[in-house]
Amino acid sequence: MAATNKSRRRWLILIAATILLATVWYSWQRFRNPPPWSDEERNLIASLWIENLQPLPPDATNAVADDPRAQALGHRLFFDVRLSGNGMISCSTCHQPIRHFSDGLPKGVALGISKRNTPSIVGSAYSPWLYWDGRKDSPWSQALSPLEDPNEHGSDRLKILSVIASDAAYRRAYESLFGAPPDLSRQQDIDRAFANVGKAIAAYERLLKHGTSRFDEYVVHIEAGGDSLNQNIFSINEIKGLRLFIGEARCTECHNGPLFSNNEFHNTGLLSIAGETPDRGRIDGVRTLLADPFNCFGEFSDDPTRACSELRFARMGAELIGATRTPSLRNLVNTAPFQSKGQFQTLLEVLQHYNRAPLAMIGHNEAKALGLSNWELRNLAAFLHTLAAPIAADQHWLQPPPID
Amino acid sequence: MVFNLLRRYCLFASLSLFLLPGITLAHGGVVEEDDLCVINIGYLKAHFKIYVPQQTGHDEYCEDIPIRGESVFVMEYQHDGLSEAEIDFRIIRNVTGKSTFARLEDIRAIDDIDAITIHYTAPTVVPDVFTLLQSFDEDGEYIGIVSAARTDTGKVYTAVFPFEVGYIGVGIWPWIIAGLLLLQLNYFFMSRRRTKGAAIAAAVIVLSTLPTGNVTADEKSWASSAGYFRVQYASDLEPIAINKIHSWVLHIESADGKAVTGAKISIDGGMPEHDHGLPTVPRVIEELGSGRYRIAGIRFHMGGYWELRISIDSGSHRDDVLITLEL
Repeated sequence: MAATNKSRRRWLILIAATILLATVWYSWQRFRNPPPWSDEERNLIASLWIENLQPLPPDATNAVADDPRAQALGHRLFFDVRLSGNGMISCSTCHQPIRHFSDGLPKGVALGISKRNTPSIVGSAYSPWLYWDGRKDSPWSQALSPLEDPNEHGSDRLKILSVIASDAAYRRAYESLFGAPPDLSRQQDIDRAFANVGKAIAAYERLLKHGTSRFDEYVVHIEAGGDSLNQNIFSINEIKGLRLFIGEARCTECHNGPLFSNNEFHNTGLLSIAGETPDRGRIDGVRTLLADPFNCFGEFSDDPTRACSELRFARMGAELIGATRTPSLRNLVNTAPFQSKGQFQTLLEVLQHYNRAPLAMIGHNEAKALGLSNWELRNLAAFLHTLAAPIAADQHWLQPPPID
Repeated sequence: MVFNLLRRYCLFASLSLFLLPGITLAHGGVVEEDDLCVINIGYLKAHFKIYVPQQTGHDEYCEDIPIRGESVFVMEYQHDGLSEAEIDFRIIRNVTGKSTFARLEDIRAIDDIDAITIHYTAPTVVPDVFTLLQSFDEDGEYIGIVSAARTDTGKVYTAVFPFEVGYIGVGIWPWIIAGLLLLQLNYFFMSRRRTKGAAIAAAVIVLSTLPTGNVTADEKSWASSAGYFRVQYASDLEPIAINKIHSWVLHIESADGKAVTGAKISIDGGMPEHDHGLPTVPRVIEELGSGRYRIAGIRFHMGGYWELRISIDSGSHRDDVLITLEL
């Protein structure tokens, strides 16, 4: 009798253990394998695909924007340390090709310390606004500012024009593009020639475009009807991160389109850094821009119609207080630290900030708290890492030109 | 349930008791109004707050700063007059002997104000929002003096607010009050979240029943709120996509189907669910005749529900049309 009882109990334990194991296994599978993408999700994913990026529109304000001679001249100027007060700083001091044309520092360091974090140049020609505060409206006009900023190149337009005049190759290239050298006794001539320097640099910068990332490969795979789960491009965590990115985490509200940016200005409640008051952002940027003689309306723009389809309709107002430009997320893993003042060292810190969405010090934080778990934030970060890609430009553009 | 109500009542009663003396303690020019810290510079008001970002992050203080360190003072103007006024900001050690009751007269009585000044921002016009940075190395009593001089009338308005930095010796009561307040706030927010959730759900239901804008050149016509006009639009960008600046042609008819010409039109809009407006200022660039108007500078920078409000003034009538789009 005792023996039968014992064996019956053993059976019961066995059955219970089996049921428990099966349940655990089932839940684990549910956890491991997220559901397939819905049609809506597929559309959202495809909208982020690099192949859906329109060809770079022509820059009407820059007549030499796509001229190969200007590209070559701009390439040399970009790497030329003579365009600085101490003969040691070039554009590539902060915009280092090896770091995806940024510098790995919280704020740029050249002759002094810049006001904000050095953004990557790659893909920047697509944006109607330049700088974190949007105080420039064309890449050529942007390129002029660092040259005369005492904390950056610390040079001035006259010195820069004299470098060009003293270098035979520069002089030839300049004259073939822009005609006779400037009359240095006339301010307007000086300013025009200075703008031309920016236009050549911008022509070079337009060549720097984003390449294909692992995310784009994944899009190709699922667009071709491949299995969204069983593939060797994206891990389960990356898929979960992507699902959060286009869904619950609401990232695509601002980081949308193939460049993961709407190029607009948003206040996201960032804390000011030590020694500084909160960044006023676009509210000052737009005023500076409207007063800038090198803006789209100005006399140095090459667009005779002065269409200025963005500047003409630029908005003012309280929403712009403390608002900075949405940066592209492509290759952001190579552009740490993050945010306009380099407030965050890691992606996880950035995501934790958006997850909390604290009240802004100045203005109004547009973001809403997300309430995601740390696991979910890690998955989001895992997804963001899949946006790394080589620069889609010929190798010789990514290093200093040979000296001739 | 009864217990809950009782608990709530007790909390409320205890809070009101503690809050009453708090109100009388308001320091000069800075007061709490409806949970908002406000500085009154004459009749000019600004939302006032102080941060010690490197130590206490996003924590806001109304005037007393509990910790030494680098403080950021913020005045967000609630009155446009401040955007145009010359503002000067001075912080002095409180040597008046009147602690939190120091007033402008007491400051005027000080012989050498510069000797006790630890911060001075000379008069400047700072639009939209005023910020300043000041490090406090010592605990103690201080006074802030803010003046706003109107550049048009030349009138000067001044606010004085005594405040303390560092440990504020008031014993254990503030902590108890803070604890109770927290409980109450928590309760308040919990109940608010519930109603907010319900409101959002209701809004979603209402919205889902609203007609959404068809993004292809649509034949749909939108009636103005008082019914004076009917409006159709055709976009030169088809389908309407985000992040692209483009233009629309509006066709405006009166209620009886006649083309409305020579109207004054203005455009506003935004995403009500995100509390933000349009990223651009679209406007009429051309009247095309027979009630048609070209509006340029339209750009949407997010997917989701958008509203565009077209205000039409035909001379005889003025009315608004609300066009909604789902992008």
